[in-house]
Amino acid sequence: MKSLFKSLSSVKLAIVLLIIITAASGLGTLIPQLRSHDEYFARYGQWANLFQRLQLTKLYQSWWFIALLLLFALNIIVCTLDRLSPKLKRSFRPRVSVEEKEIAVLKIKEKLKKHMNLDSARELVKRELSTKHYRVRETQEENKSFLYARKRVLGWFGADIVHLGILIIIAGGIISGIGGFRWNLTFSEGRILEIPRADFKLKLDKFETEYYPNGSVKDWKSTLTVLEDEKPVLTKIVEVNHPLSYKGYVFYQSSYGWDWTSPSVEIWAKKRQNPSFLKKMELKIRERVPLEGEDIEVSMLEFIPDFVIGDQGQITTRSLEPNNPAAFIEGWQGEEKIFSGWIFAKFPDFDRIHSEKETDLTFELKDFKASQVSVIQLSKDPGVNFIWAGCIFLMLGLLFAFYWPTREIRMVMEGIGNKTEIIAGGIASKSKDAFQSEFAKITESIRRSK
Amino acid sequence: MNESTLFLITFILYILATVFYFAFLFSKKENPAKTGFKFAFAGLLVHTLALIWRTVESGHAPFTNMYESLSFLAWASILAYIVIEWKFKIRKAGPYFMLIVIALMALASSPLMPKEATPLVPALQSYWLWLHVSVTLLGEAFFAFAFITSILYLVADAKEKRGEKTGLSAEKLDSVSYRCIAIGFPLFTLGGIVFGMVWAYNAWGSWWSWDPKETWSLITWFVFALYLHTRIVMGWKGRRSAYIAIIGFLAALFTYFGVNYLLTGLHSYA
Repeated sequence: MKSLFKSLSSVKLAIVLLIIITAASGLGTLIPQLRSHDEYFARYGQWANLFQRLQLTKLYQSWWFIALLLLFALNIIVCTLDRLSPKLKRSFRPRVSVEEKEIAVLKIKEKLKKHMNLDSARELVKRELSTKHYRVRETQEENKSFLYARKRVLGWFGADIVHLGILIIIAGGIISGIGGFRWNLTFSEGRILEIPRADFKLKLDKFETEYYPNGSVKDWKSTLTVLEDEKPVLTKIVEVNHPLSYKGYVFYQSSYGWDWTSPSVEIWAKKRQNPSFLKKMELKIRERVPLEGEDIEVSMLEFIPDFVIGDQGQITTRSLEPNNPAAFIEGWQGEEKIFSGWIFAKFPDFDRIHSEKETDLTFELKDFKASQVSVIQLSKDPGVNFIWAGCIFLMLGLLFAFYWPTREIRMVMEGIGNKTEIIAGGIASKSKDAFQSEFAKITESIRRSK
Repeated sequence: MNESTLFLITFILYILATVFYFAFLFSKKENPAKTGFKFAFAGLLVHTLALIWRTVESGHAPFTNMYESLSFLAWASILAYIVIEWKFKIRKAGPYFMLIVIALMALASSPLMPKEATPLVPALQSYWLWLHVSVTLLGEAFFAFAFITSILYLVADAKEKRGEKTGLSAEKLDSVSYRCIAIGFPLFTLGGIVFGMVWAYNAWGSWWSWDPKETWSLITWFVFALYLHTRIVMGWKGRRSAYIAIIGFLAALFTYFGVNYLLTGLHSYA
């Protein structure tokens, strides 16, 4: 048990762990994470199995990486506690009296003589020290007086505060990992969705995409209303970087798309032999619309936003973007089908219509409309406040460690009749030059004052 | 007058500063160094004007593509240099550090870097862009100086061991490396890690995603944490410290530059 504590309290272990965690983190950026087995097989061949078994393909979520982080956290706790108690003792119950030779070995020191008795010399010294914001402790021994003055004691604890911050961040990470979850909500305007594991609902009132003059997306804006018991309680426009928070849930504008299941399209019917013939019609999925002046009804069976013929000859969509919109239409005369096939918005001359019966008609897909859908990411992250608290400790600790160095001044004052001999020495944990000049100023003003 | 003219004037001023610094290094006279410093300072002022111009013209922070970001890093490096020169008086490292600035400016002006300002994608429309990028790059500028002083340390240390004289003592170089890291590390932590997490939480809904850029900034942070622990707790100084500082800067450089070109992830825009 003792040896376990000893190895956990060693800085060497901390350094070894730091190096291993660094190397593992780097490895995780070289192997793409959380992909499918097929993708790994294509990339690494036989090695794919080994990589997956070692969890290198979900490295940051793997049991061994998390175990390393936990061991590291434990190491930080033990190391910090191990060094904390002597520091706490030094700061709360410092030793005030010293041997003169302890001051003699310090690099920053001074000897002074004052023509006044011990009591007035002591008052003078204390005044000078407190004008420089030192806190003074003293003890007395016959004709000797010992002074221990100190300031910026937090400097000693800078590293500990940093470590505390890191531990809080790790704790927050654990809490987020266990209690947090994320979910994508895909909405079209007017839809109301239930929020998983919550007692309220969310309605998308409005969704709009704003564009820059050059056509690239400027912003997505979703107007969301929170409904409790079917009553609206809160409405907010959610944009990227401007999420909505409600009852521990945060809603982000994550993505957008179109609802291609119920588009409406505009189709132009023409006749090859009669260039002046043009009939426009609006079609929705599975809705038979009569073609004006002809004994024909047209219907659309399917709409595909990004038409492509797959490897096995199957018709599918390559993406949800309207890159190659296509509609499958049928023409009916009563109960008799006279034609059917694909027409393409981008290739008006290229139709794949098979006619069962002689017809002079051609069709063009002129326009298509689908309602836009907004993808809202919902996340619940119960650890996030720990993260911010940890970050504050981290930064404060760094500032204390680097820029708030503890300064200590010790003095032995000996009263000999109406004279007082003062031996002073100082220690600073960092920026010794600045301390040296402060020390010189203090001793100089003690020498001069009366 | 436009932004690219100002950029060009800045570049020329930095080159002149570098030339005078090297003249100082080889002539061992003080005057060229003073002139060099003046040119560097004038360059910083014109560069500041160029960045303001860019900001006004594009309507967003001047670091949203590689050209802007390199130019900003060069600006931050000169700013860091002026602070370091003022605080630590280490003029003889100036010429070498100026070479990094020149390299950044040259890379920024190379035809590989598209110069036109494009409108911001939704994810970048946030004031966190200003805080996250500027503070991180300023921190990295101090790492860059520590990188130079660490290399100079290795050279000086080898010379001193052979009993030769050095322009800058190895001890001074070691101490300045440490003090630059003592400035760069808190800045990098604040800008790169803390502001990065806050922004990621606001924009992506997750304060940490193990995205390659995030991971590499953590790796950089770990390397400098290693530098500080080996130095402060285990008393490492000199050569071993210098090697860690060099590795740390290379990790920062990879985070800044390499990740964009070699790995893919959420930070694909910058």
